[in-house]
Amino acid sequence: MSKPLHTPLATTEQEDETAPPEENAGFLPIETNWFDRLFISVVLWIALSLFWFRFLEPAGLSIWIANAIALVMAFIIIRKG
Amino acid sequence: MQSKTLGWILLAPTLLILFFFGVLPFIYVVFVSFHQWNPFAVDPEMVFNGADNFRQIVFDPAFLNSIGVTVLFVLFAVVSELILGYVLAQAFMRDFPGKAIFRTIHTLPLIMAPIIVGSVWKLMTTPSIGIIPKFLDDWFGITMNIATSAPAAFATVVIMDIWHWTPLVTLTLIAALVSLPSDPFEQAQIDGANKRQIFWHITLPMIAPAVVATVFIRLMDALRTVDEVWMLTGGGPGSATRFVGVHIFKEVFPKTNYGYGSTISVVVLYLTIVACWLLYVTMLAPRSKKD
Repeated sequence: MSKPLHTPLATTEQEDETAPPEENAGFLPIETNWFDRLFISVVLWIALSLFWFRFLEPAGLSIWIANAIALVMAFIIIRKG
Repeated sequence: MQSKTLGWILLAPTLLILFFFGVLPFIYVVFVSFHQWNPFAVDPEMVFNGADNFRQIVFDPAFLNSIGVTVLFVLFAVVSELILGYVLAQAFMRDFPGKAIFRTIHTLPLIMAPIIVGSVWKLMTTPSIGIIPKFLDDWFGITMNIATSAPAAFATVVIMDIWHWTPLVTLTLIAALVSLPSDPFEQAQIDGANKRQIFWHITLPMIAPAVVATVFIRLMDALRTVDEVWMLTGGGPGSATRFVGVHIFKEVFPKTNYGYGSTISVVVLYLTIVACWLLYVTMLAPRSKKD
């Protein structure tokens, strides 16, 4: 009874508290936050590794090269994606 | 602050259950996927073999074939369920005689366990006793035997999946259609839009989140289908219905090759996540502002 009758059930202050993390407009075609970009990096890392195992490792190229490329890609995507 | 603490306390049981029954088993499967492990062998110890299982998987013809068959199955089943489910949902939005009974009967397959569905369909498709081969033979002169014909087995599995899961799509799309506001449709009709334009430019964009959620659910379910198919065809004839779930089952249980089976599971999970993510990005994700 102590609350005024016109108090809304959901307030803008409450929404601000749970606002999503800041979005970034980088070179990726979709809006992403840092976790999205980390996810994209991991997905690309696994895809590159499987591709490397299938086509490039039999030719003598070590998987560590793929890991290094994936690491550089992850850095670029997370920083500028 | 107090409400946040209370929130975490209320969430704690769910988070704990998720951690112990979801996250921990996942971590364990990933751990096992980097090992060679046959717990029923003379030497049942886990042997770490690095990424050798992953090296093996990209050259494994049985696995690659199972992925191909599964993708075909998912395409046929999920697309058919979506189209049929939408048509039925639109039908249920109108009044017609016997609607309540038809809707109840239509929803019945959903409450059946997949293993039962597989058993029933096996009975219905067995040549000597099944109703489907009998009527196909009597009416059209077609001899159907899913034990020997790969296309017949594959088609039967797809039809069985459509029969089982279309009601789920119908129910979710009914929920989406019922919640649509009537104003945009009335305005479109006043502006002279035809039914096709209304569907493509108003209905579909407005129910897109429900469609994507439904496709997610069906995609994930279809990619891990095992019990229905195992009961109906056992993955055969040959490898015609050896979907990736059945392949994992055969690798892990009859062969007791737990390490390699875990590797296949991890790769399939990866492919499932990527497929769902691509679907989300193409249909729902907000575009970058620079566009």
